[in-house]
Amino acid sequence: MKYIVLIASVLLFTSCEKVLFKKDMGSRDPLDNFDYLWNEVDKKYSYFKLKNIDWDQMKDTYRPMLNKNSTETELFSVLASMLNELRDDHTNLISPFNVSQYNVALTGAKNYRARTIDEFYLADPWRTGALKHDFLSNDEVGYIRYSSFMSNFSDAQMDLVLDHYKDTKGIILDLRENGGGSIFNIPKLLGRFVNSKTLVGYSITRNGEEHNAFGEKESFYITPHGNVQYLKPVVVLIDKGSYSATTFFAVATKAFPNITLIGDATGGGGGLPNGGQLPNGWTYRFSISQLLDLNENNYAENGVPADINAAFDWNDLETDEILEKGILEITD
Amino acid sequence: MEKHLKSLLLLFFIIGSFLSFSQESDNLKKPENNSPINLYALFSIGITNPIYRDFATSPLFYEGIGIEISRTWMKRSEERERIFGIGFGISFQTARIPESDFIQPGSIAGFGKFDLFYQELWKLDILSDNKNNTKIGGAILTTQNVRGNPDLQNNTLGLENISNIMASAQWTRDITRTETKQLNFWIWKPNLNPVKRDLRFLLNVGVLNFNYRPGYAYAYDSELIGMETNPVEWAFSNYKWSMNGWRIKTHLEYIKYLPKGNARSWSYVWEAAHTPGKFEDFQMASHQLRYTIYFNSNKR
Repeated sequence: MKYIVLIASVLLFTSCEKVLFKKDMGSRDPLDNFDYLWNEVDKKYSYFKLKNIDWDQMKDTYRPMLNKNSTETELFSVLASMLNELRDDHTNLISPFNVSQYNVALTGAKNYRARTIDEFYLADPWRTGALKHDFLSNDEVGYIRYSSFMSNFSDAQMDLVLDHYKDTKGIILDLRENGGGSIFNIPKLLGRFVNSKTLVGYSITRNGEEHNAFGEKESFYITPHGNVQYLKPVVVLIDKGSYSATTFFAVATKAFPNITLIGDATGGGGGLPNGGQLPNGWTYRFSISQLLDLNENNYAENGVPADINAAFDWNDLETDEILEKGILEITD
Repeated sequence: MEKHLKSLLLLFFIIGSFLSFSQESDNLKKPENNSPINLYALFSIGITNPIYRDFATSPLFYEGIGIEISRTWMKRSEERERIFGIGFGISFQTARIPESDFIQPGSIAGFGKFDLFYQELWKLDILSDNKNNTKIGGAILTTQNVRGNPDLQNNTLGLENISNIMASAQWTRDITRTETKQLNFWIWKPNLNPVKRDLRFLLNVGVLNFNYRPGYAYAYDSELIGMETNPVEWAFSNYKWSMNGWRIKTHLEYIKYLPKGNARSWSYVWEAAHTPGKFEDFQMASHQLRYTIYFNSNKR
């Protein structure tokens, strides 16, 4: 019996992490959740200064809209509205019934229509991994459509594609409405169009509670990659739907004279988004870093401008004016 | 007479020297008999209930269930004990989310854990007797966590190392049953045969507590050098070592020895750690019910 008492005592004593840890912070209280999210953004969001956002003012504006009895939909609506003040598609609130999004692409005209290209330009397109490609303009131009940096392609597949177009005058890489994805696919793709290790930009990440507190610059290099390089002119088509990793890609192309950006400015998304969870279990993300170009200019979040501006004319659905401009740039 | 005296002295020295030799021989043998050094190879499997909370990504506790397996080498005597062990655990957790009256959110996370453990203990005579053996000493425990929670997007991967130099104390109570005992359950009256048994309690308390945790922003755009970038280095590039926090581990074990020197045991292992790191806290605890087989590998 005494051993049972002893064992029970030890088990009781050693099950006391609840006493040792800070209290459970799970809460449905709308004000607890508002304060938690506001504080997290305040501590880590990276573009307050660039976008001239007074975050304290946002608290004063939105917090009074809530009280302890606010419903979950009311809470979602207020938090989403507050986050949308950041004008950043890397900022979202995710609940089981809705996901908030600022939707940068809607701030500019739509400049891509897949059917126009499929119906009027591509005669016999191949689909190699995530890449759809074909010859254009009497085989003088290679066209490669890459719709998402989330999608992968192997080195062998890229070797095949570039070898296929080795005798063209140039390649058009269509990244319109490419909403981004893995950052590691940027050097994998761009490394095919360069012949030496090249510094293309920097990133800086929040490292303190002050809104302008950032860590040291982290360099971003592109190095030649793969068995087949293509060093002739390359045109990259971009628009407001080109976001995140595509904006990184667009900034990086500025370091290479053989690459030209045509279309509309990208949508931005130069900051790396983090991820987190509120006391009520909803999740969120927002940007915690900034992307700088070679001259340490910070314009990427507002969109990387095209070298040659062009727009899709929606009165003529049989012609892609941006693609036509790209063909002209290579063949002219 | 003098000749006889010399002969008697010579005989005395010869016998004396033999006696001395015999006594010394007994002295050498006695500790061997009473305090044999046992070498054990231990294999353990346990059901565990890990709990953790990473304030850098969520204020919520995650808790779930999993298994842990470990392999341990042990050298044990009455006077001293030395242990080296490696362990691996895998578990799945759900977030402890307050109940919603609308649509309940949910988060599922995976948690892998790798342990290395080394401990040396020495007998504390003042707290030991025929039935009790108390040892004190120190231990090094290092744990690498690998956590995954897709709901946290770019913060999906959680990695931390928690390494501790610990003070250790172990109390072993000999609860050997020396006589046959009969239980009485009315119609069923089983006999319990004599058996060697121990009840052991081990306490490890962190003295120097180190942790390797992410930087201020948790996720980073670190240096990218084309395709030569190592994703692991990239992920770890802003991690920092800190010396803070605490860690406690307890182990209550019931050991039943088998006739050939092997043994098996059931134990309850509890562990808790708090690592403030440089920026945001990480906390973890686990409760484990463990079954262990001891293989005695002494060469006799």
